[in-house]
Amino acid sequence: MSPAAVTVDRLEKTLGKNKVLRGISLEANAGEIFGLLGPNGAGKTTTLRVICTLLAPESGSVKVLGFDTLSAPEEVRRRVGVVTADIGVYPRLSARENITYFAQLSGVPDGEVKQRVGAVIDRLGMESFANQRADSLSSGQKQKVAIGRAIVHDPEVLMFDEPTSNLDVLASREIREFMVESRGRGRCVIFSTHVLHDAERLCDRVTILHEGSVVATGSTAEVRGTHRDLEDAFLELVL
Amino acid sequence: MSSVLIVFKKELREVVRDRRTLIAIGLAALATPLIMTVISQLATKTATQTYTVGYSGEIPVGLDVLLQATGLKLERVDDPATAARQQVDIGVVFQTAQVDEYYDPTRQSAQIADTRLQTVLGRYEAAKAEAALRERGVDPGVLHPLPIKAHPLSSPIKAAGNAFLSFFLPYILITMVLTGGLSAALDSSAGERERKTLESLLLTPAPRSRILIGKILAISTISLVAAIAAIASMLLALTQIALPGAEGASSRITLTPLAAGVMVWLAILLAGTFSSLTLALGTLAKNFRQGQAYATPLYFITIFPASIILFIPDFNPNLVYYLIPILNAVLVLRDAIVHNTVAWPALGVTSASLVVAGVICWLAALRLFTREALLVRS
Repeated sequence: MSPAAVTVDRLEKTLGKNKVLRGISLEANAGEIFGLLGPNGAGKTTTLRVICTLLAPESGSVKVLGFDTLSAPEEVRRRVGVVTADIGVYPRLSARENITYFAQLSGVPDGEVKQRVGAVIDRLGMESFANQRADSLSSGQKQKVAIGRAIVHDPEVLMFDEPTSNLDVLASREIREFMVESRGRGRCVIFSTHVLHDAERLCDRVTILHEGSVVATGSTAEVRGTHRDLEDAFLELVL
Repeated sequence: MSSVLIVFKKELREVVRDRRTLIAIGLAALATPLIMTVISQLATKTATQTYTVGYSGEIPVGLDVLLQATGLKLERVDDPATAARQQVDIGVVFQTAQVDEYYDPTRQSAQIADTRLQTVLGRYEAAKAEAALRERGVDPGVLHPLPIKAHPLSSPIKAAGNAFLSFFLPYILITMVLTGGLSAALDSSAGERERKTLESLLLTPAPRSRILIGKILAISTISLVAAIAAIASMLLALTQIALPGAEGASSRITLTPLAAGVMVWLAILLAGTFSSLTLALGTLAKNFRQGQAYATPLYFITIFPASIILFIPDFNPNLVYYLIPILNAVLVLRDAIVHNTVAWPALGVTSASLVVAGVICWLAALRLFTREALLVRS
């Protein structure tokens, strides 16, 4: 069996006076959608921020494709793409310019930037608004720009943090389809959400967090167990 | 392409498309000549304006001609003391052996009229004294046992122009270097956080120090463009506008190549320092508006040193004072403008001081830009 794409080992983190993560461990593999589930405040976003090197672990360790987040953060960032609910884009740049900027900063070779950005625009169906200034785009279009900039350097690990929370039904469905497509391309997809219904439909394996600790982990079917759905299983675990 | 260059180009592109910054630079470039024109016209008007003297009593023979030739119009009033409060600029009561003058020193017109009156009366007195001595067969030269003949080493008109530039030019330079790039600096720091693009930017493998350098270079460029645009427009205006000088002559103010070179060098150093400083302040702020509040005290820092030159024109401190950032730039620039010289040790200390200040501000900005709280607070 190939090593896990992302390995989190006994991770602890305190923000201010709050102990947000209390020794969580998990593994996510290439070619799967891994669900990081839990209610608001469970520690999902903090876990993702540590994995992508925005925050440093207080204790424990995190490795992405064998690179430690503390000793090789730039190598980790080269291999990770993150999409969040905050679809902030540079308003005075066009959609294409936004993606190009991140392609260049992510180390895509100069000669390949144009072709790579064009491919991402094709893949996400952005041709009709690619040259429009970002401040004139709809939320769904901005979310596509956010996805485009996260995948333009072709990362092996993709993390989605509540990616559909600000989107309408159609845009949300496109995000879900994109995650499934990425899994098909052999990427490790980590999907953080508090919407357990979405997770149940998409995820191969899940970890449920509650108050900074792992309360369940395994395949989606294993965690659901004999319950009607994941939500029932979750409620039994935390109540 | 280097990540410094990538960030630099992107920031400049955003600024070029940002109306706020462009309008600020454009207004500064337009406002300076406009202010100069207004100052010039006011000065000309003040110098040539006729002021009214309300008087009572009998005017000594010949004095009325002298007063009117000096731009003082005579108007008979019942009570000069009362009239001097509103109706006329000064009030005068001519008595046999004395002249009583009434004026309100809080009114500028009264001050000017007073100066003219004192000058005219002084000359009138001297002429009368000389005439009386001649009548008695005495050489009027006894009144001036040690006559002074002044030999100014430079034109008094030029000196007045330089004194004006030595205050105004450093003030414009420092203010424009600060304000020209302020909007861009806040947009590039607090704005990133407010728009929620900061996290994505920090997720790229580009080292944060290089991202920061790219931003600082872009902001410095904008600051320099703003400062040079404002100063160039001011100097252009000065070639067209004549400031009234002594004895009715007028002067046109010019900047020597040495002073211009010193000015550009100091502008570069100041731009680097201010860019790092405003970026650090912007990084502390949660949004653009909060960043503006944090940056407001900086305006006082720019005004204070230039004001020292205005109130103490001959302030010639020792080299230690040249360690104080901004004040040192003002002093060096003043020397270059007024004396057309550069004291190289002073310029050396000033440059070192501004470079050290810039590095400290850069390190502060880097520290703020790389701390976890930056993201946790957002």
